[in-house]
Amino acid sequence: MLWQYVPIAIMLVLSMGLAALIVALGHLVGPSRPTHRKMIPYESGMVPIGPGMRRQPIRFYRIAMLFLLFDIEVVFLLPWAVVSRKLGLFGFIEALIFIAILLVGYLYAWKGGALEWE
Amino acid sequence: MTVPVTWQDVAALLPEFFLVVWASALLLLDVFWIREKRTTAWLSALGFVVALVLAVGQMGRAPLLAFRGMVIADAFSVFLVALFALSGLVGILLAQDYLARNGIERGEFYVLLMFSVVGMMLMARVADLVMIFLALELFSLPLYVMTGFARPRADSEEAALKYFLLGAFASGFMAFGIALVYGATSTTSLPHMVDVIQAGEADLALLTAGAALVLTGLGFKIATVPFHMWTPDVYHGAPSPVSGFMAATAKMAGFAALLRLFVLVFPVVADLTPVLWALAALSMVLGNVAAIAQRNIKRLLAYSSIAHAGYMLSAAVAFADPHLGPQAVAAILFYLVAYVLATFGAWGVVILLERRIGQEGLLLEDYAGLSRQYPGLAAAMAVFMLSFIGVPPTLGFFGKFYLFRVVLDAGFVGLALIGVLTSLVSAYYYLRVVMLMYMKPGEPIVRREPRVQATVLAAAALTLFLGLTAASSLYAWATEAILRFG
Amino acid sequence: MVAYWIFALVSLLMVLAALVAVTNRNLVRATMGLVLVLFGNAVLFVLLEAYFLAVAQVIIYIGAIAILIVFAIMLTRHVGDAWGPAFHRAWAWAVVVAGGLAVGLLFWIAHWPAADGKAKSPVDPQYTKLLGKALVAPDGYVIPFEVASALLLAALIGAIYVAWGGRRVKGPYPQRSEEKEA
Repeated sequence: MLWQYVPIAIMLVLSMGLAALIVALGHLVGPSRPTHRKMIPYESGMVPIGPGMRRQPIRFYRIAMLFLLFDIEVVFLLPWAVVSRKLGLFGFIEALIFIAILLVGYLYAWKGGALEWE
Repeated sequence: MTVPVTWQDVAALLPEFFLVVWASALLLLDVFWIREKRTTAWLSALGFVVALVLAVGQMGRAPLLAFRGMVIADAFSVFLVALFALSGLVGILLAQDYLARNGIERGEFYVLLMFSVVGMMLMARVADLVMIFLALELFSLPLYVMTGFARPRADSEEAALKYFLLGAFASGFMAFGIALVYGATSTTSLPHMVDVIQAGEADLALLTAGAALVLTGLGFKIATVPFHMWTPDVYHGAPSPVSGFMAATAKMAGFAALLRLFVLVFPVVADLTPVLWALAALSMVLGNVAAIAQRNIKRLLAYSSIAHAGYMLSAAVAFADPHLGPQAVAAILFYLVAYVLATFGAWGVVILLERRIGQEGLLLEDYAGLSRQYPGLAAAMAVFMLSFIGVPPTLGFFGKFYLFRVVLDAGFVGLALIGVLTSLVSAYYYLRVVMLMYMKPGEPIVRREPRVQATVLAAAALTLFLGLTAASSLYAWATEAILRFG
Repeated sequence: MVAYWIFALVSLLMVLAALVAVTNRNLVRATMGLVLVLFGNAVLFVLLEAYFLAVAQVIIYIGAIAILIVFAIMLTRHVGDAWGPAFHRAWAWAVVVAGGLAVGLLFWIAHWPAADGKAKSPVDPQYTKLLGKALVAPDGYVIPFEVASALLLAALIGAIYVAWGGRRVKGPYPQRSEEKEA
């Protein structure tokens, strides 16, 4: 049962390992001659202003909220997609109604200006 | 491949389907074409009228389990669905002028109201635990938003947040309870559950725990003590038409599912009888006693709604008795009709007297002298108050009469006594409103809003007229709406 | 056997991450701890052979809700500062309640008839397909599926109204807000 997850496990290990390896190699092999300027966080060559974490505008939150709703839609459609061929026309119409109802919401969000980045 | 959905299935849910389609279309019309929000209001009112006609058209048909046992169209659900469609219509009549005059009228309000009503209708139709949860969420979510509809106002926002957080918590209880009930019976379908329980294959301890948690979730929606904490603040902070709509319909929806579950499926968990007894008694006592101290009419009506939830719950205490179950259902349905009429009417009066949103005209003193200048309105308000107390010619009297009769038949003399005594207590604060309107001089300022006025007068006329002439036939009608599967 | 070791490892990791989420005074770090717990949950779902739930967990909780939480934190002042005390005044009571709950649950599970560790997972390996069929097939949960869609639509309208709708206006009473003509 669990064997099908081995690729995912391998990928997890590989990606984390590679990241760790690169950082570690950089530390071990590279010469380390820190100057004040080098220790400043790198921000496209500019001198950084203020702390790294600062308050973000609420727009991000709003968009994330919309994303969450459509994300849930995807989760509902996922099991249907797995068997969509077997379920034939009936299932297709089902899913179509499901999407149509949410499409109304999408149109509303669009027209209501929710997708604009004011 | 099995037989696809038949027309019979669709016909069983016709009012709901129609409302969903209508609401969706209205949402798009509202953002794309309609410029006057009033048009949206009228169109949604039209939608409710059509839904009402469709629901009435379903009356008298044989009970039908549709969509493979997900929903049921029986006399009980059709009765309530028609009532919900009517309530939606009244909700719009009450809300439109109020929203417009306070500058918060938006098309979304009507669309959300329609979705909420669809959820309530499904609440009356449920024949499956999955549907109960979805219907509960579908009617609650729009209510949370509608509570916060006077959005820039802090008290409205606060009410919405409070309602939402506690509501989400209650949904959690509900979901957990549903999971336990499923664990105990290994089915979510209520008719199957009845079979499993009768065959003695259910895990009773688990079922009792699940039923108790479901009761907690529903108790929050119908606002019984100890799950009532949110009620005064939410009813106070929400725009008045929303409070009125909520007070009337959310309670109906909660009771619909509660009756369906407890009378039909859970009689086996008779262990919960004392719990229901305590909830009912506490609600009646605390709701009525706390209402005495209120000076704000919205808070007074909120506590009074808690008390009325207690009265209705007191009949539901008899759920475990197979002979009394149907009678309890009939008594509660009858009481619901009386309660809904008086609630809509009383909130209509509140809307007419509220000068600025949530600001002036909400204290009891503001009702002083109403009879002098607006005798019709004052008389209507007096009728609602008397109906709330249960004074004879009104519908409320018959409601309490049938309720207490069931409670007495079930042998809960103490509970009936508490009910009668707390009714006497309630007379104090209800009559104070009447006294202020008729005895004290004052200069009340009332809005001229014909739709709201017409609604108030119609509700008063029905409360009186049905009480005088048609109470027994209405009760007989409610009795026919007993619950059955298949 | 492998499953047991994975379970032990993941559970340990989850407990540690949960501790980070609760005790770390830096909100962003606490969130990362929470995300790790959620991910561990997904792994546990996999171990229980509830594959669809695992996927849903990753898509919804890690993919969307965690992001929502991060954005919510980014809205606040003191982002990323270790600000305020980590312990509430009544932390002792919380320990008592949580401890009591834990003991109760352990007791309950230990006495649960099906909890002898031999119970077979009743879930079909074709579980996602079954779920798909159950959701959309005519003899399945057709109506709940569509009602869920209506529910999402209502939530969407509500969310948009709450987040965009009434614009904040100055003064004690709301003025008639201009309708957006986009």
